[in-house]
Amino acid sequence: MLNANMKSAVAKKEIELALADRFGAVFQRRQKQPAEIVPTGVGEIDARIDGFPRGSITEIHGTASSGRTSLLLSALAVATMQEETCALVDTSDTFDLSSAAKARVDGERLLWVRCGGSVERAFKATDLLLQSGGFGLVALNLADVAAKYTRRIITSWWFRFRRSIENTPTTLVVLTPVACIRSCAALVLEVKSEGPVWPNTVSFDLENSDAKLTMKETRERPTPHLSLVTDSTFPPETAYLASPYPLKAGAASRLLTHSNLLQGIRIRVNQERPVSWITNPARFKTRLH
Amino acid sequence: MFASIYGQTIPKFDSPAGGQGWLIDLAFTFSPLVEHTADDTVVLNVSGQNLLFGSPANSGPAVDDNATIHSVRALASEIVRRAAQLNFKVNVSIAANPDAAIHAARAFKGVTVIPIGEESLQLGNLSLKTLDYSLADIEQERVAGIEETLELWGLRTFSDFAGLPLAGVAQRLGQAGVRLQKLAQGKSDRQMVLVQPPLGFEQSLELEHPVAELEPLSFILSRLLNQLCANLHSHALATNELRLHLNLEDRSEHERTISLPIPMQNPKTLLRLLLFEIEALPPRAAVISITIIAEPVKPRMAQTGLFIPLTPEPEKLELTLARLVKLVGADKVGSPEILDTHRPDAFRMKRFSISTQNKSRNRQPATGNRQCVMGFRVFRPPWRAEVQTLHGRPTRIRAQDVKLSCLVRGQVVCASGPWRTSGDWWRPDVWVRDEWDIAVADPIPKQSEMLCRIYRDVQSEEWFVEGIYD
Repeated sequence: MLNANMKSAVAKKEIELALADRFGAVFQRRQKQPAEIVPTGVGEIDARIDGFPRGSITEIHGTASSGRTSLLLSALAVATMQEETCALVDTSDTFDLSSAAKARVDGERLLWVRCGGSVERAFKATDLLLQSGGFGLVALNLADVAAKYTRRIITSWWFRFRRSIENTPTTLVVLTPVACIRSCAALVLEVKSEGPVWPNTVSFDLENSDAKLTMKETRERPTPHLSLVTDSTFPPETAYLASPYPLKAGAASRLLTHSNLLQGIRIRVNQERPVSWITNPARFKTRLH
Repeated sequence: MFASIYGQTIPKFDSPAGGQGWLIDLAFTFSPLVEHTADDTVVLNVSGQNLLFGSPANSGPAVDDNATIHSVRALASEIVRRAAQLNFKVNVSIAANPDAAIHAARAFKGVTVIPIGEESLQLGNLSLKTLDYSLADIEQERVAGIEETLELWGLRTFSDFAGLPLAGVAQRLGQAGVRLQKLAQGKSDRQMVLVQPPLGFEQSLELEHPVAELEPLSFILSRLLNQLCANLHSHALATNELRLHLNLEDRSEHERTISLPIPMQNPKTLLRLLLFEIEALPPRAAVISITIIAEPVKPRMAQTGLFIPLTPEPEKLELTLARLVKLVGADKVGSPEILDTHRPDAFRMKRFSISTQNKSRNRQPATGNRQCVMGFRVFRPPWRAEVQTLHGRPTRIRAQDVKLSCLVRGQVVCASGPWRTSGDWWRPDVWVRDEWDIAVADPIPKQSEMLCRIYRDVQSEEWFVEGIYD
């Protein structure tokens, strides 16, 4: 049996050598070229996976408030800063421009397609963009579509998308609530929230004219109705008021924007595909500005 | 072989073209190569035109035998006849060079044909006062001096001047004198300054039967656009604006204008854009005539670089944008632009184009170690919420978007706020609201908290979910 296998292998090699002059190296296994990448802009993730691979689909899935949008905004910011033309197919029209501007996404290089909640339109729009070519990053946002609907998306769509961007410099990033692209995705990242980062609070008594500020760690508990809220990175004397009620002069010097209320989210990212022996998740924290 | 037409009677019209407009039009009916020499004179290259207008038996290339002379005389007679039909009287002369033809047309009435080599003989008796100094490219200041010199020399006719020795003329009058003497001899190697016909990129078609469907209309549009683009291409031009004018069966008109961000000359791309435009806003009745006008501009010249990131091809991008507009609507596709106001979620959509990107090219290095900015997902419109409060602080919330079946429901485990914002108090749509950032415990076990931004509209006392942090 062994001899028979060896004979067939030798015969195959002889045939390949005989035909090599006419057909070149068509019988040899092609070495897979290292994929070009689009950096995510998050150092902790780029240190592990370098970025999103070009010419293939990347899926980012997770529950609400898990940090999917933060990761996408970061990738869009890096891509637009590198003069890439990007497109965002926004299925449920939830793209927030102020947070995108804070993440330094260049709006002039971003084509925003608002699909008004129609998944079918979103897929058709994505298909048109991928067929058009020339985009560095195309993002399909299905994050607000219910998981039961994303699971029903027929696989042929994903195969079609994968085929469209194969051997092109385009990367397709899909945000989903649950993993649904399966084998068509070259990279699948699961994003989980490890909890929000609330600001430290300072108790304050309005009736006491000689009010004194004292800091308290109240991350886990609801903040009091009247509270002076300070960022932990600032000393207590720069505390500012998170209340619509008036404060004694000199007690607060900084203006507060609504975004100061929540400081950020701690995020953990697991690489689900391609399967790796090293399964250390990447951890990072989002910030306000 | 050149023909010169001299108008004996020049009508005075109010139009800027004046009296010479008809002369140029007349010349263009015989040849596309026309020079507008003076108000009353035009020259046209009629080489080979005798095959069309002259006697069919003669096809000589030059005026050098009797048969050819007969043929070109027939051509000149045809020019005179057509001018007469327009009630104008003209002199026509045909010679081997344009300058000899001009002098002959001005001097001799009717039709004159000067055979090759006989220019000096034919023009010899003409007075030197009829010599056109402008043809020798002599400045007006020198003309009076040269005329006086020639008169002092006792020269009266072309032949007198032509017979002078060349070296003597050059010594006394310089190069201008040499050029003038060549004119007097009936010799010239001057190139004609051709009249460029006005560029008009317009194609029209009257239909025999009204067309009510898009598919047959697309074939007609394709034909017109092919001709239009071929015309543009032949002039090395492109278009950045296409105007479609349709006359309809109900005697109304339908006009559409497509403004292109970059100049194009590809008929297929233009056809698709036109069809998308007609599909988006179809005419009210069947079409009986079509006119397409293209605005001519210089074509786009782009130099690509090895290190410049790939961008979508402008023609393909325009088609893709048109298809996206057809799919989701015109106001749903474009580049976002934040408005200069404090009103929440105030933005507008701009037209997406590559050309604007190139202007603001400031490539920045990839910053891999930047800290990630917290993302936010805004609900448009905000979800109306039922909120239970304790001492003004939210404790439970329930909100749902019917379309997407998404739900924000549960106990508020952490809340930060309120923060009051307001604006536009001078307008009827003034807004005042107290914002809270809340963490809602998900009813599903093992799920993380949902972080939302909610607000209470101070005027209506209603609660809304503005969006979620993500």
